[in-house]
Amino acid sequence: MGAWRHFPILMITVPLLGAVLLPFLGYLRESWVPHVALLPLGFSTVLGFLLLGRIPSDGYLSYHLGGWEPPHGIEIRVDYVGLFLMLAICGITLLALVFSRHYISKEVSRGRRTAYFVLFLLMSGAMLGFAATGDIFNLFVFMEILALSSYALVAITGNRNAVRAAFKYVLMGAPSSIMVLLAIGFLYSATGSLNMADLAQRIAESGYTEVLTVSYILFVIGFGVKAALFPLHMWLPDAHSIAPSPISALLSGLLVEVSAFALLRITFSVFPRGAADLIGGTADAVGVAAAAAVLYGGIMAILQKDLKMMIAYSTISHIGYIFLGLTAFTAEGLTGAVYHMLDHGLAKACLFLCAGNFIYVKGYRRIEELKGAWRQMPWTCFAFALASISVIGIPPTAGFISKWYLILGNVRGEKWLYACVLLIGSILAAVYCFRVIYYMFFQAGREGAWEDSWNDAPPSMLTPVWMLSLGTLFFGIFSYLVIPSLLKAAAFLL
Amino acid sequence: MKRTVSLLFIAALAALLLYVVANMPPMGDPANPTATHVIPRYLENAEEETHTENVITGIILNYRGYDTMGEVTVIFCALAAVLAVLGRERRGAIEGFVDRSEVVSSTIVRTMVRFMVPFILLFSLYTIFHGESSPGGGFQGGAIIGGSMIVFTTIFGLAESSRRVPQRIRAALEGAAVMGFFLVGALGLLGGGEFLTYAWPKVAPGLQPSLVVWLTILVEVGIGLGGAMVLTSILFAMIREEEIATAS
Repeated sequence: MGAWRHFPILMITVPLLGAVLLPFLGYLRESWVPHVALLPLGFSTVLGFLLLGRIPSDGYLSYHLGGWEPPHGIEIRVDYVGLFLMLAICGITLLALVFSRHYISKEVSRGRRTAYFVLFLLMSGAMLGFAATGDIFNLFVFMEILALSSYALVAITGNRNAVRAAFKYVLMGAPSSIMVLLAIGFLYSATGSLNMADLAQRIAESGYTEVLTVSYILFVIGFGVKAALFPLHMWLPDAHSIAPSPISALLSGLLVEVSAFALLRITFSVFPRGAADLIGGTADAVGVAAAAAVLYGGIMAILQKDLKMMIAYSTISHIGYIFLGLTAFTAEGLTGAVYHMLDHGLAKACLFLCAGNFIYVKGYRRIEELKGAWRQMPWTCFAFALASISVIGIPPTAGFISKWYLILGNVRGEKWLYACVLLIGSILAAVYCFRVIYYMFFQAGREGAWEDSWNDAPPSMLTPVWMLSLGTLFFGIFSYLVIPSLLKAAAFLL
Repeated sequence: MKRTVSLLFIAALAALLLYVVANMPPMGDPANPTATHVIPRYLENAEEETHTENVITGIILNYRGYDTMGEVTVIFCALAAVLAVLGRERRGAIEGFVDRSEVVSSTIVRTMVRFMVPFILLFSLYTIFHGESSPGGGFQGGAIIGGSMIVFTTIFGLAESSRRVPQRIRAALEGAAVMGFFLVGALGLLGGGEFLTYAWPKVAPGLQPSLVVWLTILVEVGIGLGGAMVLTSILFAMIREEEIATAS
């Protein structure tokens, strides 16, 4: 193995290092902070792309920190699915950061801008660490960085509603962190190990079935809150709609996905097939909750009047999709879930950034105010339409591919009811997305609501939006580059 | 209604947890999984492998140093979160701050604090530097420095205190803990090992014990300085917020 085995750890720690160096730069030259913050994330992205093709779909890269072999030391274990997710994190955070510079100057007051970029980098680095780790306590540590930075970023505008939403998020998030910690403690007491691969072996041999079962239940509740799985979603609509739009994009496009990914890791890497009797009942309950989430999120999204609220409820619905893919326990379902993390991340980030464009240019938040928007902001409107098509799941976008595999996985797992729920969810998505598209393109707005000439957001905000929406198209058309390897990797996980 | 549901939920959770505790491995049994799997190596070989007499330090800084790197990032993140909510003062603004709520303390208190603070700082340095051989270390030492700042600031006021520790220094050193870890980690790569390898494979075996000890102390100092600055900055931000709130 060459020097590239060090790439994952550098991808994680360089953004963290960047974050701690930014306050001093903010003291010297505050105006440089938004530009310099791009460097560490750009570095991680480059390393991530250099790793492409080095990790086989049925293998993994194991990195022993400090040279201590697991279970005594901490292991970073990047498999094909992990690398896939890390690349999605790098790409989306980088685009949201590019978007932030202009947007933040309007929404965040001067004394807080450096803190915004510091927290942004901490959150990105923590997500990468979260996706790559092979140690269950390390997972908790990164979850804490992730949670703390996201609470603060929701509250960063400082207005009353934002602080209230953030507080609600803390009230739900902090107990969920404690539950995960308790779950880890229980696992440790029953097995004496913290390394995921080692745990998988020791769980199969351990006699403490009650402790292990409850531990899994606590993991599900803990990560369920973080991933906003219905009925633990109460914090999400407020937090996601009130946060500054680039942060909404990160929360909705990545944070809930990585939390779902953590549960995927726990389910498939820590509690292996041999422990199916330990987790079977809980997994069934997750399936029911996920199906309810698909329907509840979809219906609530239709009822919303605020654009960002609508997108937030749509996220609740799509988290249900991802969990239905996990609980199918088939390679197709797992592939669909992982692919859905990517394309939902791209599409949702794009939708929130589009909503950010409307707020930036016009200050409009309500869906009704978007009537006739395309006359003034055609670029934003077309990007919004393209991303919406992916959310609904119409070919040739990536949303179609992932929903196809999700449904296929549930059919293979003989869960016919869930397959139907997935289809109904798409119909609901079509209703709430097409309503906005119809308003934008086919309705005349209030007199004077929109200018007749093109006056769209600045290029630094339009470029990320278009790269994200074209990304959904790219991963739809060229899905054959990834899907076969993902299927193999999923079969390897099962 | 809401209260009943919450109480029921809490009761269910408590029952679940008690059920687990009843079924957990017996406390203190030497045959427990926790006592037989990973721990023996730490207890038996830590001194030899990590060159630290304090096994706890060996575990948190060396065997599981990456976790501790994450934890110090959490501490830094807490500061960033406070500054995100309260806002950071403009450059140089705080030094000219007029304390409105200042209670004039007696000469006895002022003299005592002036006399005590250097000794408290000296003790914190002892705690930091002896972390690898006795209880203590960067976290504790940093907290002691932070405590001395709290004492000093409550007696002499924010303006005086921030002249001693200006924003320039705080902004540079708030992340010292993470920087220390990253430095040691990256040096480990250059020394031919993995990230956070203290004993570089490229260094002669005879030199390794002292190398490991020095790197451990470097990390401890980083944690101590970083923790102290984080506590000080949080303290200043909160006092400033309080002053603004009472002034308006």
